[in-house]
Amino acid sequence: MTATPPPLLSLRQITRRFGGLTAVDSVSAEIDRGELVGLIGPNGAGKTTLFNLISGVTPPSSGEVAFEGRTLTGLRPFEVARLGVARTFQNLRIFPNMTVFDNVSVGAIRDCGLSDALFERSSARGRDISDVSTEMLAKVGLADLADELAANLSYGKRKMLEIARALAGRPKLLILDEPAAGLNDTETIALAQFIENLRAEGLTVLLVEHDMGLVMRVCSRVIVLAFGRKIADADPATVRQDPAVLDAYLGTGDA
Amino acid sequence: MSTRPGEQGRRDEAGPVKTRLNALLVAGLVVLLAGLVAYRSGYFNQIAITTMIFVILAASLNLITGTAGLLSLGHGAFFGVGAYAAALLSTKLGWPFWLTLPAAGAIAALVGAVVAVPTMRLTSIYFAVATLGIGEMIYVTLLNWVGVTRGPMGIRSIPGMEIFGLQGMVFNMAVTATLMLVALWLVHRLTHSYYGNSLRALREDDACADAMGIDVGRLKLQSFGMACCLAGVAGGLFAHTTGYISPESFRFGESILILSMIVVGGLGSIYGSIIGAVLLSVLPELLRDLGSYRMIAVGVVLFLSILFLPRGLVGEVSAIDLIRRQVKRDPNARRSAW
Amino acid sequence: MDPTVLLQQVVNGLSIGLVYALMAIGFTLIFGVLNVVNFAHGEVYTVGAFIGLLAITALQPPLWMVLGMVLLGGGIAGYVLERLAFRPFRRFRDEASIKSKAMREATLLSSLAVSIIVREALELKFSGEMQTIAQTYLLQTPIQLGPITITDGNLIIFGLSVASLGALQFVLYRTRIGLAIRAVSNNVLGAQFVGIDTGRAITATFVVGSMLGAIAGIMVGLYQGAIFPQMGFEPGVKAFVAMVMGGLSSIPGAVVCALILGVSESVATQFFSDGWKAIVSYSFLLLTLWFFPSGIFGSKKEKM
Repeated sequence: MTATPPPLLSLRQITRRFGGLTAVDSVSAEIDRGELVGLIGPNGAGKTTLFNLISGVTPPSSGEVAFEGRTLTGLRPFEVARLGVARTFQNLRIFPNMTVFDNVSVGAIRDCGLSDALFERSSARGRDISDVSTEMLAKVGLADLADELAANLSYGKRKMLEIARALAGRPKLLILDEPAAGLNDTETIALAQFIENLRAEGLTVLLVEHDMGLVMRVCSRVIVLAFGRKIADADPATVRQDPAVLDAYLGTGDA
Repeated sequence: MSTRPGEQGRRDEAGPVKTRLNALLVAGLVVLLAGLVAYRSGYFNQIAITTMIFVILAASLNLITGTAGLLSLGHGAFFGVGAYAAALLSTKLGWPFWLTLPAAGAIAALVGAVVAVPTMRLTSIYFAVATLGIGEMIYVTLLNWVGVTRGPMGIRSIPGMEIFGLQGMVFNMAVTATLMLVALWLVHRLTHSYYGNSLRALREDDACADAMGIDVGRLKLQSFGMACCLAGVAGGLFAHTTGYISPESFRFGESILILSMIVVGGLGSIYGSIIGAVLLSVLPELLRDLGSYRMIAVGVVLFLSILFLPRGLVGEVSAIDLIRRQVKRDPNARRSAW
Repeated sequence: MDPTVLLQQVVNGLSIGLVYALMAIGFTLIFGVLNVVNFAHGEVYTVGAFIGLLAITALQPPLWMVLGMVLLGGGIAGYVLERLAFRPFRRFRDEASIKSKAMREATLLSSLAVSIIVREALELKFSGEMQTIAQTYLLQTPIQLGPITITDGNLIIFGLSVASLGALQFVLYRTRIGLAIRAVSNNVLGAQFVGIDTGRAITATFVVGSMLGAIAGIMVGLYQGAIFPQMGFEPGVKAFVAMVMGGLSSIPGAVVCALILGVSESVATQFFSDGWKAIVSYSFLLLTLWFFPSGIFGSKKEKM
């Protein structure tokens, strides 16, 4: 008898109401280690709210989010991050007045405290942070821009910077919030390859996206949200032909 | 080769160059002070001491406002808390300066922490106004709690600093200079480290820093407490070197003066704190005849700095640049749960 | 405690509360339109009082004329203030920048700087002492109303406040510029899209808000018989407190809270000496910021 490990992320009938509006309605889903799952849905479907529920920004009205078996309900965002959940932002929130290197290091700093600061030159913690920051910068191809002010980066490079920053925390689950937004086809293909490489290295990825091409290309599984409810949860090919999914997208003008 | 944290993209400043510069500055300071001692002017010596005290104040405010982005309009009040603590401990309990100064720092830090705890989750301008309110409340307390603080009459005859028979103006200068250098070193270590990066992350986007695993509340509290501690020590120095304190020295105007120093000198920069403190301490003193113009000059300088010198003279961030960056941000961010 | 005394204090408190209310309205208008804290608002109060003082000493005109001149002066002051301390920072056209945190901080500092300059300049010119005002102008003629005494000042303050509020309502709801102001408060970008000159609306807001502040200043000056350069600082803070308590964008809320502040302050003098009076307002401020993130009467629109 083999024991199956608990899913990495598990949503159990998670619900979030804002006054009279139910943004997320009793959504249940699971993501196992090593999966690359896509989360799609028309505008207003509740993707952002679901995202905020997972990362601890918004508390659920009912239901539960669990990570590695531990419930995330009631945890502050930084506690969720320290458990191993990292994220990027759709509207790119880098730290403009800091260098690229310093930006990435923030992802790794966590609870680096006063004593580390005062005695940093000899601190192991400081060396760790330096090492992982350098490693992640190299991984996203920004190593030669390490000393550049983040504000001076182009759009595409900023995206990679955010990913490097998220990776610096050595997360177990990486949630990417519309990483393909604003990228052209060539860039999107490069991004897809990059995400696949991450998964090949063992990282679990949840991809929130509008770009169907990217989602269908890299995800092994797709979850579809509409009006706060989950209406599909299957492999890309099945989801693409699901009448409920097509119905939800009709009339929204979404690509 | 990994980059040293805190270097802001200035490729010309390699480690050894900066260290040599700093050593040169310290040496210059010693020479300057020695020269003043030789010149034997009590007046100039006092200016030097006051300036160095303001350097400590400016550097400590820069830690929270320039680096961590917490705009504090009440820093002068914590300066006052430290001054009164040192004055009372020495006049009423006879404590020597090497006890009153740490105590002043500790008490100021404690008061700072207590008032900061509920204020931590406020965003920028509300935090600023809360610090204004706190500062004014402290001032009103100093003014009216006559039984303890002697109210508007102030506390006089505060003993000077003395140890092993060493005392007097020169000794005061030496102690102040030493403490100033220690404070600068401390602020430097804190800002030029990964801890400093987490403070900067607070300034840039504290909600995002939260999502990156940084305990925003604790960080704000720590940095605020440390800044208040330094301000308290500065207050103790002020009490012992001038011999007389009254609530009037610790009002809102003082907080604004310190703020102006770092805005002019440069937010987030230690050199900026020094430059700003020197400019706004020494110049008004030298133009003493026009003494009543001092606050107007401060106001004008502050205004012009914000408008034309947004980075201050050598600062890390500029108000206008921050505005430009914000333009790129999602206009809906205001309505989201962040 | 003697109920008559209490009642007297409440009446006095309402009086001063109305003054705070006029200040708070100006504050709230400006905040609603630009999302900024106008640190120089206390100074238009002082400027109003001094304009009235100058008018009285130079020309000895009838009271209504003094008030008219104060209104005019206040409006000009507001115009200049907006041009000087706020407009230069509004260099970009979209809402995100117009209401951004950095701009709020920059204008907080710039309006702070202007307020310092104005205050110190007045101090230089008039020195810190209280200016004396001719007896005939002081609104201190007592009127007996049963057990309590009010002065004609109280009546005038009440009358003027009501008139000002009425005029404000008229301007906001019956004129085009008022409509523009309300539109800009609600949605800057949208207002621009429908062709409203947002720059003019913002300037108008400052003018109107400052007029109210200036009137408040001269009224208090005449009522308390004291006009001095530092007089605007505390009312400015109290106006801010009232605005915050009232929920940031609610004018009725700000008015109610201003009255609460005035009465609390007045009643508090029964228990504490005068010097501690200021603690009342600051305590309210801190309590509101800490426990009522959306203000006591506010909606969840804007968190602090």
